[in-house]
Amino acid sequence: MPDAAPQSAPSPAGPLESPGLIDVKQGDLLQSPVSDNWVSYNGDYTGRRYSALAQITPQNVGRLSARWVFHPRTVSPLEVTPVVVAGVMFVTSANDAYAIDASTGKLLWHHARPLTHGLVDDAAVHHNRGIAVLGTRVYMETDNAHLLCLDARSGGLIWDVPYAHGNRNYGATSAPLIVKDTVLVGTSGGDDGVRGFLAAYDAQTGREKWRFWTIPAPGEKGSDSWPMDMYLHGGGTTWMPGTYDPSLNTLYWGTGNPSPDYDGSMRPGDDLYTSCLLALDPDTGTLKWYFQFTPHNLYDYDAVETPVLVDANFRGKVRKLIVTANRNGFLYVLDRVTGQFLVAKQFAQQQTWAKSIDANGRPVPSGLVPDEKGVEICPAEGGATNWYSPSYDPRTHRFYFRSLDACAVFQSKTEPFQEGRNWYATGARATGEGGQGYINAFDLDTLTFAWRNAQIGPYKGWGGLMSTATGLVAYGDDAENFVILDGHTGKPLWHFGVGQMIHASPMSYAIGGKQYFAIAAGSDIFAFALP
Amino acid sequence: MEYCAGCHGTDGKGGDKAASLAMTLSVMTRSDSELEQIVREGTMEGMPPFSQIGDANIHAIVGYLHAMEGSSASASAGAVVVTGDVHAGRSLYFGKARCAACHRINGDGGFIASDLTAFSQTHTADGILQAITKPDNPVAGTSRVATLTTIHGTRLTGVLRYEDDFSLALQTEDGRYHLLSKNELTAVAYSGHSLMPRDYADQLSSRELNDLVSFLIVAGRSSGIDSTPPH
Repeated sequence: MPDAAPQSAPSPAGPLESPGLIDVKQGDLLQSPVSDNWVSYNGDYTGRRYSALAQITPQNVGRLSARWVFHPRTVSPLEVTPVVVAGVMFVTSANDAYAIDASTGKLLWHHARPLTHGLVDDAAVHHNRGIAVLGTRVYMETDNAHLLCLDARSGGLIWDVPYAHGNRNYGATSAPLIVKDTVLVGTSGGDDGVRGFLAAYDAQTGREKWRFWTIPAPGEKGSDSWPMDMYLHGGGTTWMPGTYDPSLNTLYWGTGNPSPDYDGSMRPGDDLYTSCLLALDPDTGTLKWYFQFTPHNLYDYDAVETPVLVDANFRGKVRKLIVTANRNGFLYVLDRVTGQFLVAKQFAQQQTWAKSIDANGRPVPSGLVPDEKGVEICPAEGGATNWYSPSYDPRTHRFYFRSLDACAVFQSKTEPFQEGRNWYATGARATGEGGQGYINAFDLDTLTFAWRNAQIGPYKGWGGLMSTATGLVAYGDDAENFVILDGHTGKPLWHFGVGQMIHASPMSYAIGGKQYFAIAAGSDIFAFALP
Repeated sequence: MEYCAGCHGTDGKGGDKAASLAMTLSVMTRSDSELEQIVREGTMEGMPPFSQIGDANIHAIVGYLHAMEGSSASASAGAVVVTGDVHAGRSLYFGKARCAACHRINGDGGFIASDLTAFSQTHTADGILQAITKPDNPVAGTSRVATLTTIHGTRLTGVLRYEDDFSLALQTEDGRYHLLSKNELTAVAYSGHSLMPRDYADQLSSRELNDLVSFLIVAGRSSGIDSTPPH
């Protein structure tokens, strides 16, 4: 069953071919699948984290070995996916950016910037998931929601634009996404009473082009959920990179949970556009369509998990699809031209918040509402999956993702919004052992699981996945190992103990014909290749 | 370095005897006086007291801890008296003196040499003048110019960004990083210099040099990084 080649667009300029010369053209960003270069957080615009590199195979992966380790200064476990362009790797740690020789791990430059004090929640632990690159420039978000433009050849600061205003609970943790000559940035703070938005900046000048507010202003569609000034605090943040289809000129971006997380009494109705997938015009920020996974979300089920673009035969017809496993415990297939709901499959084995998903994709709630005493609900607040990346292999039509089967007792009490404090309106605590993790292979042809690997190990993993043209799937497991398994069978083939919890998703690149895997693990970046 | 590095590592990132100090939350969230007290009196966890090194050294150590976190909180450039013409200095920087061809300042300029935006936050007026007129004294480790000869006979001259026994990175003036294994090279010749012209003392008058220094001081003052929450 042939796949239509996704995202095949003519290259205005050829792909990056000169080693060591960083000058990323539109054509480089449009390359799909990725091979030598991994030019953005997810590698390419499809979000499928699938690499065409084929040097490392199931037959030789046993000889894979560590090539180097790079240690940036760190304050919390790294969540970055490295970007590699022409043999140069770019990583971030908190507000610092580094360029590294990707074959040796040696430092080329370091852009140092102090941490911001006085932030709340995720921004206060200074997570940063990486850079975007265009031309000779690198872009990153800072913990206090500034967009930095750096010279990719030196790390020198070209401009610094603060992009979130009016609420000190904003922060930023994502990697930006470049589309055409625009840099797209979002924020964190969705558990802290900010008003979510996606903002577009001119990559050259740093001037704002448009801003899409995920919480409608009074009088706009959906504003009936946001009485008084609640729209200023409704959450729905945009804290992971979206995906982009150049042939449809459409940007796909997930939004987070509403604020306050567990108290729905202050936000009646569906709470648009929280817990949604937004389809936006990248030139204007105009909303083309939206799909809401969890209307009136009371459980912190963000919808920022990567909306993966897949062109595949679905029930007898080649369609442009989005496949995404949602934090709410269901995997969704949508038509990405229209936003039409096609199917949802429950993957969380313990799922109690919804009775079912109806024919339009809307959940039928089971009526479980967090209260002062506490109510056990599944999945837990951390979700049946989360921001750690999924991967799609277009040859086998398998969608790989990490999941967590867990439940939590959710408690809620109405509390006023306050700057400088989070706004969960109480909290959730895990029940039992904290749950069971799985690495899953979902077969898009049969809409069933090809295999599910229960994770063994003392930790609950936060490591994402990637896949390659030789059928390998790479990920961080629950026992501080970087693992490569056979995507056909799910059998682990090789591992390396990194000695630290992995809170990031891997990537692959090549230099002079040599393929590498790289992953951020704990406080370090590790790179692996064949001898 | 001579007091702390034995346990906390030469880069402040810690070792087998003591924790990381570089960009460590427990360091960054303490006040200067708390940090000075720890250095002076030691800790229950086993760090020895260092009162014997004197208050000036203790103060300098705490200043260095801030430098490792990238903070310019203790910058004292504001105390420097500017005696030259800042506008004339700016014209020199972007014009006749051609500083901007290599050095970025406040977002404008080249990439092959260091960003000078915050240079005056760590250098006195005299230090800046010395850096302009005697650039090789000393050459920064990442600014050394070298000429490589490859096994194919190609010669490349550029800035040596790193080198060890096995590999190196040479950045040529077009911005390209030549990331090479030593196996690919037959010779590495060090020029002993950076790319910086060594005749600014002759090229520019003392008045022009003073204007340039004044511009660098003022540019550094106006370059504060916003490390506060959104507001």
